[in-house]
Amino acid sequence: MATADDSRFYSEHDDRVGPKHRRKGRGPFRAPLYSDQISKQRHRGGHGGGGGGAGPRSRFEDDDGDIAMTDDLHDGGSQRRFAPYGRPQNRRNGRRGGKDARGDGGNNRGRGNRGGGGGSADGVDGGGGRKNWFKMMIPHGKKYEKQWLLSSLQNICAVPFQAIQYHTEGNRVQFYIDDSSTAYALVKVSRKITDKDGYKIAVLMNPCQPPSLPQQDLKLEDLEHLKQCMSKRFDGSQQALDLNNIRVDPDLASLNIEVALSRKNSMQAVIKIIEDNIPELVCLNLSNNRLYKLDDLADLVAKVPNLKILNLSHNDIRSERELDKLKGLRLVELSLQRNPLCDHFKDQADYISAIRERFPRLLKLDGHDLPPPIGFDLEVAPAVLPPCKPSYFGSEELKGLITCFLQQYYTIYDSANRQLLLDAYHDGATFSLIVPFSTQNPSRSSLGEYMKDSRNIKRVKDSTTRFRLLKHTRLNVVAFLNELPKTQHDIASFNVDVNTYTGSLLSFTVSGVFKEVDGTSRDSYRAFSRVFIAVSPGNGSMCIVNDEMFVRNATTEEIRRAFVAPAPTPSSSPVPTLSATQQEMLSAFSQQSGMNLEWSQKCLQDNDWNFERAGQIFTDLKVQGKIPDIAFIK
Amino acid sequence: MASTIDFRTHVDQSCRYSEEFVNIYYDCMDKKRRNLTRLYLDKATLVWNGNNVSGQDALGEFFESLPSSEFQVHTLDCQPVHEQATQGQTTLLVVTAGTVKFDGSKQRYFNQNFLLTAQASPNSDQPVWKIASDCFRFQDWAS
Repeated sequence: MATADDSRFYSEHDDRVGPKHRRKGRGPFRAPLYSDQISKQRHRGGHGGGGGGAGPRSRFEDDDGDIAMTDDLHDGGSQRRFAPYGRPQNRRNGRRGGKDARGDGGNNRGRGNRGGGGGSADGVDGGGGRKNWFKMMIPHGKKYEKQWLLSSLQNICAVPFQAIQYHTEGNRVQFYIDDSSTAYALVKVSRKITDKDGYKIAVLMNPCQPPSLPQQDLKLEDLEHLKQCMSKRFDGSQQALDLNNIRVDPDLASLNIEVALSRKNSMQAVIKIIEDNIPELVCLNLSNNRLYKLDDLADLVAKVPNLKILNLSHNDIRSERELDKLKGLRLVELSLQRNPLCDHFKDQADYISAIRERFPRLLKLDGHDLPPPIGFDLEVAPAVLPPCKPSYFGSEELKGLITCFLQQYYTIYDSANRQLLLDAYHDGATFSLIVPFSTQNPSRSSLGEYMKDSRNIKRVKDSTTRFRLLKHTRLNVVAFLNELPKTQHDIASFNVDVNTYTGSLLSFTVSGVFKEVDGTSRDSYRAFSRVFIAVSPGNGSMCIVNDEMFVRNATTEEIRRAFVAPAPTPSSSPVPTLSATQQEMLSAFSQQSGMNLEWSQKCLQDNDWNFERAGQIFTDLKVQGKIPDIAFIK
Repeated sequence: MASTIDFRTHVDQSCRYSEEFVNIYYDCMDKKRRNLTRLYLDKATLVWNGNNVSGQDALGEFFESLPSSEFQVHTLDCQPVHEQATQGQTTLLVVTAGTVKFDGSKQRYFNQNFLLTAQASPNSDQPVWKIASDCFRFQDWAS
């Protein structure tokens, strides 16, 4: 990309980004660099004044060089007309043609803009009046806390001052002061403060253009003008918007409207107008807009998804990393020439690959065709997870059996006395418990009573402990269960998966939510997942041989959903197993009402097994829409 | 008394087998999924978030269809399954929980449990563990 035509320009850019000591060779009439100045100030112990080549005049030119750069970009005319600061204008003109046009001002230009420096010489800042503005600089000030630095200065400064637009630039702190006596008073305290490292804090000053106030929103009517201006610059046939050098658009300038796209408010206004009016935009030209960072442009990725061609040439983007903010744009063409970042690459190939890394579909860079990217003909239909389904019972028979079992089991489990669970367990039953171990949550007590009995063999390595935590035989199991916190389970939250069913073995996993109703963790919501392995001693009942329970804290979502459906009230007296008549009644009721067994049983129980009354109540509640859908899920 | 000692030995061994199984299973799931079905019985059943998959071929197809995974097991527990339930066939219940990140989804918590049965191996004199059933669920499956 370094065409012959560009060579001069590029070498200048080299100068800017090169090591600073190179600049010390400059002649006295060159715009001096702050860094030069700082080192002189520090070593000589001098300040302000008129010593050496770094006198106020040349510093003045320094800011001036900033404006000279704009001349390079052919935008000077209107600014010259409007600028109230005749002297710098003249000086600049006098210097036209000199290589100083690039100057150090260029180096600071972008950031200066943010601070409100350079670009605002066009009269829009007329509000700044005839005040004398000074840029105050504190070399190496960045390491100090703002509050400390300002109050230290104020303590010894003869006059009160207000630091306007305090900011850092490199290692130095800068702010503005709007009258000369205050500025001089501040310079007088230079090197009077010694920091904790024994370093004397220097204060430098520089006359400057009035800073423009940042973040000043464009007025409503300005936005309307901007919109009109943009519509003039829009080519509907190409879906192309040309905002090249919009800062000095004659229409806007004649209305004193300043649109500096390097500023957040301007860029946001422009993107908003694009979003609202031409979101299908394909081609956008932002060249010559003094862009130095692309943060505000990042919105394009989401808001202008069709953007294919982007021109960012003739800006001040210093690092290809800025382009990361535009990642996601499916750019086909990109122009970046005449940005400092272009000079960071040792060769063209390096440059292309760095840019293409950000925009893999790029076919044209800076007007040059790139070899088209070669993809892979891999079937890229990404694998997707199968949808999650609720309970898997395998058969209606098992569903009835398990639902009924759980209903009875948890009625007892939630009662005051779990001893009655003895009937549910086999003589040689085993039980164990695990709770998740979370390194993020060291407050082990959050799972309270469960933690100490957790048999997580990822953590518990000692075989004696492992054995102790496995409760074996019916008496031990039930005695242990009886010691666990008193609970209330939300039966409606239960989910059941039948893992295995053979003639002799039924294994299923129940998960759901319960809350503790007693003790220190009262009203704590837990979620559990529990594997039961049961043998069937015939006559349709179950006998548990293995029982493994995982307990964790319920998530907010689970808590929100828990106990929403009216759950059977926990009763202190265990519900006896259903008699044959009741079983018959239950299945008949379930068939006629369409409700599942669990809800049918609840309805019958609530009505003292009076079939007719239960039927009447059911019909009434159903008409009133008071029966949740879950009651009908079989 | 003798039976208690036997049970203790049984428990110790089941812990060792479970630890080994979990290492092999999730490594295979994440990195060598093609081999995963070899860990299952011919007629093994899987209930995966309520989806029932039975038999080695269907399992192979199912695992092939899942996005690539990164499992982390945080908790592990195991119990020897009572012999009355298994008609004398040595069987283990292995229960795990942890996190899984499937490609294209966020990381989620899961619970999983297996029934492992000791089977005579055609390739070796020693018996091998095979998965008879496998039950997997995301903790937040409903959301």
